Amino acid sequence: MPLPDSGVETHTVDGLRAWLTDCVATHLDRPADAIDTSVRLSDYGLDSLYVLAVAAELEDHLDISLDPTLMWDNPTIDALSEALVAELAQTHV
Amino acid sequence: MTAPTTTPDTVTNRLDLLLASLGGPGLPFSAETLAELDRAETFPAEACAFLDAFGLRRYYVPVEHGGALGDFSAVMTMLRSVSRADLTVAASHGKTYLGAVSTWIAGEPEAARRLGERITHGETVSCALTERDHGSDLLAGEVTARLAPDGGWLLSGEKWLINSATRAGLVTVLARTAEAGGPRGFSLFLVDKSRLPAGTFSCLPKVPTYGIRGADISGIAFHDAPLPEDALIGAVGQGVETIVKALHLTRTGCAAMSLGAGDQALRLAAEFTQGAQAGTIPLARRPYIRRELGDAAAGLLLADAVGLVAMRSVHALTGEMSVVSAVAKAFVPSAVDEIVARLLQLLGPYGLLGAGDPHGRFAKLERDHRIIGIFDGSSLVNRNALIEQFPRLVRAYRKGRWDEAGLAEATGPHVPLRPFRSDALSLLSGDGASVVAGLADAVAQVRAIASAPLAALTERVLDATGRLHEEMAQVRFAPRAVPAHAFDLAERYELCFAAASALHLWVRTSPAGGDETWLRGCLVKALTELGDKVDDTELDVLDDLADALVSRPPGTFRTLLDHLGQAGPADSREATAS
Repeated sequence: MPLPDSGVETHTVDGLRAWLTDCVATHLDRPADAIDTSVRLSDYGLDSLYVLAVAAELEDHLDISLDPTLMWDNPTIDALSEALVAELAQTHV
Repeated sequence: MTAPTTTPDTVTNRLDLLLASLGGPGLPFSAETLAELDRAETFPAEACAFLDAFGLRRYYVPVEHGGALGDFSAVMTMLRSVSRADLTVAASHGKTYLGAVSTWIAGEPEAARRLGERITHGETVSCALTERDHGSDLLAGEVTARLAPDGGWLLSGEKWLINSATRAGLVTVLARTAEAGGPRGFSLFLVDKSRLPAGTFSCLPKVPTYGIRGADISGIAFHDAPLPEDALIGAVGQGVETIVKALHLTRTGCAAMSLGAGDQALRLAAEFTQGAQAGTIPLARRPYIRRELGDAAAGLLLADAVGLVAMRSVHALTGEMSVVSAVAKAFVPSAVDEIVARLLQLLGPYGLLGAGDPHGRFAKLERDHRIIGIFDGSSLVNRNALIEQFPRLVRAYRKGRWDEAGLAEATGPHVPLRPFRSDALSLLSGDGASVVAGLADAVAQVRAIASAPLAALTERVLDATGRLHEEMAQVRFAPRAVPAHAFDLAERYELCFAAASALHLWVRTSPAGGDETWLRGCLVKALTELGDKVDDTELDVLDDLADALVSRPPGTFRTLLDHLGQAGPADSREATAS
């Protein structure tokens, strides 16, 4: 179950949304187009502990350190993408 | 930030002396008194009162909030001492720390100061997480707090199987504050029973239990109980996060309690087998018995290594406690349960015949200890938490990534600990587990100073650890579908962590040519449990450990820390470097 490749520039809301969608689809073993980015990850069965694993992958992908509770405070892929862009902007000032 | 007036060593020694002085016939810490209370299912109030008078409660309150808690290893060592005497007393008295820790982590400084004052003046604090129908699944909790029309909160619902729920004056309660629940749907409240109007809460009957029969294991129900605004601990929605972090500390404390029970079990078995004769030879000299005693001694040293490194990691590797505390809580109580069960076989029939009936005391210990593997999250819950972190542990291990300074401090038993910072606790370890990732480095150091047989054992531990991580890397699962074999891998991970802990401790305290016995015992035990082939000459070290055990004066305990001696050259080097 390989993870999505990070070759392209992903540090925009759209790019992160696409990467996260692929990542979540991989975990759920579903096609990416079956994932609605405005639906809570918990509704897909990614519970509070499991979703932390996604945080770990995000850290590796973006090469930054994240507070895992970011995943709890932004429960949809849309919200998470926005929050990550804000987080990245702060990290790189 | 260590206690200003006394060093931790002094205070733990003073507690040991007090416990010994109260252990005589008719006194509150005598085995007979405690056994009678247990039989009658009566709370050990007098023993707890002596611990209060000693000032043990001050060590549940951080220095910055007016108490004496600076060094976690000091308070955990004291709880270990109390646990040797009686687990009911230790679990009942120590409960106040679990009750208060959420406020230390997330509460306002003023609230923490007030709570600290209440505790040092004798108030017992409980922590109510679990509910009748939901066990360890905190996110299923139904106890609810809703905003009251005129300010504050109204709390309703029942918490059940709660240690000290009835006796405590203050109870930390996890309650649902968002109807939909979820990880941000719960909040923590510090409930002061004395401020609740009559009829808005009721305590549930004491539940008869298998062990710790005198403890107040009960529950509490709230009926629209009005709470002031300042009862909220931290922010709304922060409850689960705070509790998960609090458990990183309390699970480590559970390991310390378990080790205390292990100390006592080993001592009782050693004294029994040394005293009981089969013909003219003490039982302890019979090859099978001797080997079993040695195996138990090695198992306890291995568990001790985990406990020691874990409690130092609270300070030194704080961000890794999601891994370290899960290992400590899953491994140590299970290891001690197994030691106790095997030792019970040794003295079973003879113990029933003995005049002092050591069997009776041993059986009580066995019953009391069983709960430690279950409360604060069972071994299964903790193994599940480890498995969720496998991908990250594997990545850190493969990259050889670890926190070098933190590891040196966590595994250098005489290195001064940095102050604990609760804001460094994290739900997920960013660095994996430094203890395991730093194993190859420690093995290389052992190679330079150890005997060939010891070096060979360490190489095999390293091989086993490498193979394990390859298997861990293969584990993939959908949400809520952790495969059964992953739990076996988690158990093996605990063994590798334990062996690595022992190795680091030895490297940092032993000069070239120093005593290797205890470490060889630990590694032989770990390799055996890992399913590695250990040959007869390697197993002989267990007999050496057994002989050392039975040759000690009756009533004495020797922990791993005693084997590690005074600050060695490696330790002083680390201390000046940091």
